[in-house]
Amino acid sequence: MSWAALCAALVALAVLAWRTRRTVAGLERRLAGAHEELERLQQAFSRFAPAEVVEDIIADGLSARSEKKEITVLFADLKGFTELGEGLAPAELVTILNGYLERMSQTVVEHRGHVSKFLGDGILALFGALEANPWQTNDAVHAALAMRRALADYNATLVAAGRPALEMGVGVHRGPVVSGLIGSEGLTGYDVIGRTVNVASRVERLTRTHGVDILVTDATRAALDGRFRLRAMPAVAVKGIAGALATFAVEGFDADGRAR
Amino acid sequence: MEWEESLLPPTSVPPALKAEVRKRLGVVPGWVARVAPVPWVARSWASMMSKPVAHVSPALCDLIALVVSQDNSCRYCFGAQRAVMRMLGYREAYIARLERAFHVADLSDAERAGLDFARRISRADPRPSRADLERLARAGFSPPAIAELAYVAAATVFANRAATLLALPPEPFETMVDRPLVRLMRPLMARRLRARPRQPEPLPRPNDGPGAAAVATLDGSPAAGVLRAALDAAWASEVLPRRTKTLALAVVARALGCARSEGESVLALERVARALGCARSEGESVLALERDGFGARDVEEILATLGSTRLDARETRIVPFARETVRYHRPVPIQRRMREVAEGLEPAEVLEAVGVVALANTVCRLGLLVDLS
Repeated sequence: MSWAALCAALVALAVLAWRTRRTVAGLERRLAGAHEELERLQQAFSRFAPAEVVEDIIADGLSARSEKKEITVLFADLKGFTELGEGLAPAELVTILNGYLERMSQTVVEHRGHVSKFLGDGILALFGALEANPWQTNDAVHAALAMRRALADYNATLVAAGRPALEMGVGVHRGPVVSGLIGSEGLTGYDVIGRTVNVASRVERLTRTHGVDILVTDATRAALDGRFRLRAMPAVAVKGIAGALATFAVEGFDADGRAR
Repeated sequence: MEWEESLLPPTSVPPALKAEVRKRLGVVPGWVARVAPVPWVARSWASMMSKPVAHVSPALCDLIALVVSQDNSCRYCFGAQRAVMRMLGYREAYIARLERAFHVADLSDAERAGLDFARRISRADPRPSRADLERLARAGFSPPAIAELAYVAAATVFANRAATLLALPPEPFETMVDRPLVRLMRPLMARRLRARPRQPEPLPRPNDGPGAAAVATLDGSPAAGVLRAALDAAWASEVLPRRTKTLALAVVARALGCARSEGESVLALERVARALGCARSEGESVLALERDGFGARDVEEILATLGSTRLDARETRIVPFARETVRYHRPVPIQRRMREVAEGLEPAEVLEAVGVVALANTVCRLGLLVDLS
């Protein structure tokens, strides 16, 4: 009798040990899976916010980190797109716009920038915001030139399909911004605020006044490789900016040219 | 993981070089035949990966090499390190758990803190902070041990850059680890692969030139001598001009915001310019500096724009490319860029360029520690 009881107890213990081990293994797998997922999220988030901010969010659920930094802002907008849209079917309009935004975003990313937001047909791209980039201004203006080429290619496709060609204006300005997680409890995102963003937007508007596609400010020019071919535009008074705003049209880049 | 075809074919390896690598690593990995045309790359690679440490355990070095290689998406190093760990007796399940998420693997708090720090050195974004050093100190790491942790991570970054840029094919022994015969021989092979314990060593003298500050952080570690020797051999090699190598180092330093390494590079460039001046008569030296050398203004122009008409054809490719090697998220795009850069260059020039940018990434990541001190 006692042998049978002992055997039964041993079997029960073995079953218990086996079940415990299985539970622990399952928990371990779930924990590892959760951590793996967290790593993936961290990598994904790092495309939208600086690594320090992502770490704060993962550790504390939020980031109170805000800082002043010097970045280069590129603002791009389609000229006359609203009027153009009035003559197109909604589906066609959305297809054309999405094709444009896709190509331009890809170009920005290829030049180490990041698209902060789309504003209708406008694009706000930042260089040097997510990670320190000593060559941010060159990258931004190279991106603007690449966007010019990408739009030419896209226009060729559009025209071949019997659709209207697009015209773009790009403004680039370098200056200080305040960055951080900005928004309400329900809608928050990493963003930059400050006069620099407004100036870039104003400069983009000036491309219409000057009849060019890419304009940079004097602050941008000062940080720029001298091999960019620039043409000075007449200084113009702009709303919200004291004094006349001097800008330069970007004509191209001489890879073999002499720096200024 | 996507991976390109190997950039360079294997070549014959001089027996002396083969013996030297075997002495350091216990085996002769496949990369030796690919980098043999520029022996300093092979020697430095073997020495740097031979765990020349006296303050951290070889086991932690293994874990760091695995985690950092995985983080850098280096197919070659990750596969090779995994196979080496299997030979050394690590269980498959344990390695798999480390791969999935080292934070939940069977590790001590000290190991976890060490791995976190190693990954931070490798990523360099965000830069390591004083808080990281304090956490390591609380976990029981002494200052020399912290420097060695940084070294092991930075040396792995060297291997990752070199293997990725050259698109090295996987080691055949990766697939042999679980074969019955190899399993039987594992204890013997583990004996060959296991690093011998090293004693602390004084800082090599002289320690000047590029990377001196980074080497000095390793005072008391055998790694200091290994890194100094690697830098001296790289800069003594005549495949590429010294100024090309120094410019590549300066660009990597600027990309990482490593002020000390950049300052040293600029000083080194000025020395190169002065040396060019000394080699000729005074009148000629001015011309020579105009033609070949760089003054501070030229250096600043190159560092600010990554281009200048004063750069020669090779430098026009190599100097801006150095920047791209600092951070990349997937191997294939950087391997394709490497192929573009390599076009028209001699294999030895390609190898030296790869060795130098890999070494620059190592030195400048250690430089992040210098900037904290």
